[in-house]
Amino acid sequence: MNREITLRVNNRAETIQIDDAETLLEVLRDRLKLWSVRESCGVGACGSCTVLLDGHPVSSCFLLAARAGSCEITTLEGLGDGFKLDSIQEAFVEQRALQCAYCTPGFVLSVKALLDETPNPTDEEIREYLAGNLCRCAGYADILRAVRAAQEKRSGTVTRS
Amino acid sequence: MTIRSFDLLQPKSLQEAVQLLQKHREEARVLGGGTTLVILMKQRALHYPYLVDLQSIPGLDEIKREADGVRIGALATHRMVETSPLIRQAFPALAQAFGHIGNVRVRQTASVGGNLAHADYRLDPPPPLLALGAEVTAFGPKGSRTIPLRNFFRGMYETALEPEELLVDVKVPFMPAGGRSVYLRYTALSANDWPCLGVAGLLVKDHGRCKELRLALGGAAATPLFIDGLEWTRDQVIDPALVDRVLEIVETQISPFSDLRGSEWYKRRMARLFVKKAVEQLNSDQQ
Repeated sequence: MNREITLRVNNRAETIQIDDAETLLEVLRDRLKLWSVRESCGVGACGSCTVLLDGHPVSSCFLLAARAGSCEITTLEGLGDGFKLDSIQEAFVEQRALQCAYCTPGFVLSVKALLDETPNPTDEEIREYLAGNLCRCAGYADILRAVRAAQEKRSGTVTRS
Repeated sequence: MTIRSFDLLQPKSLQEAVQLLQKHREEARVLGGGTTLVILMKQRALHYPYLVDLQSIPGLDEIKREADGVRIGALATHRMVETSPLIRQAFPALAQAFGHIGNVRVRQTASVGGNLAHADYRLDPPPPLLALGAEVTAFGPKGSRTIPLRNFFRGMYETALEPEELLVDVKVPFMPAGGRSVYLRYTALSANDWPCLGVAGLLVKDHGRCKELRLALGGAAATPLFIDGLEWTRDQVIDPALVDRVLEIVETQISPFSDLRGSEWYKRRMARLFVKKAVEQLNSDQQ
């Protein structure tokens, strides 16, 4: 069945025709050209397609777009303002927490949700929260450092170069 | 598009949802969080021309405190249960069981009702819910009925729900005074994988003796399993001899089968190990 839905993505309202069977990933990528949303495993295990629904991380690869109409959707494109990076993105760059960067948008959004929920997470909380985001370049140590750096940037206690 | 086209039906009430199921019968399937159904449809392992979306019915995702327990709506997400202060305080083992599933995104999406109605034999929530004596509310053409979770699981992916019935909520009674519960999961593959085996226990003690012991296992049979016949433990001292007798009873009731996460032989040994661990932990935790 076809239907018209209005998705609120990155503070913009987008009204489009979709099929009920389209996933949110397909709509965000193929229709709205938000290329940061990436498919990898396709079953919610890897985190490449992470987006935030009302601030909470979800896998867009198996969410039906037709069910997302009532939510505020945030993709990586919604974090910076186009000129300046978000502090979490800055921390990832500064800590070199990326190699091929395929997984990075998912990680950055997951870290945002984590720090919004828990501003001062323990190491265990960080590891547990990010356990479902896979990085096949194995940059985990750098990513954990980036989370700490982002946390410091956010709390404004330490400025790292 | 990866998924074959279908119609998403969005009823506004339970009555309307049941009417849709009556109308479309085997062509329709109920959609909860979608973590299993949508993925299976995406992989083209399943197809239904109609999905009946329960998310469009208001109020099905509430977690409510009642006089004698907590009622968890079918559409409450795993994450809601995991982080609910009420559940964490009253049923820490249950919050823990939900908190171990998949990853934070899956838990944000998967529904409690979907987990139970899916009736997979090795999921985490059924054993602690069985040990806690939970019951589910079903709603169908003839109205509501209550089904004790012990009678709910009928076979692999089969439940006591009629084809036109919906799972509305699960009620978890508060533990008896002096009660304590535990859930131990053993994963043979990665930490966030389905468990090879899950063991839930509830122990009520009175003056150092057992007043009530309940055990339930996941992954140890074709359905989540409540262990029967432990009434004799009442007023007994919990010593190694008691634990041995309990293990013998568990041994006769489980019927594990070999799968990707372990052979039958292995699961039988793991079941002994983890039931023992669960009982000892329940016993030692109490002063």
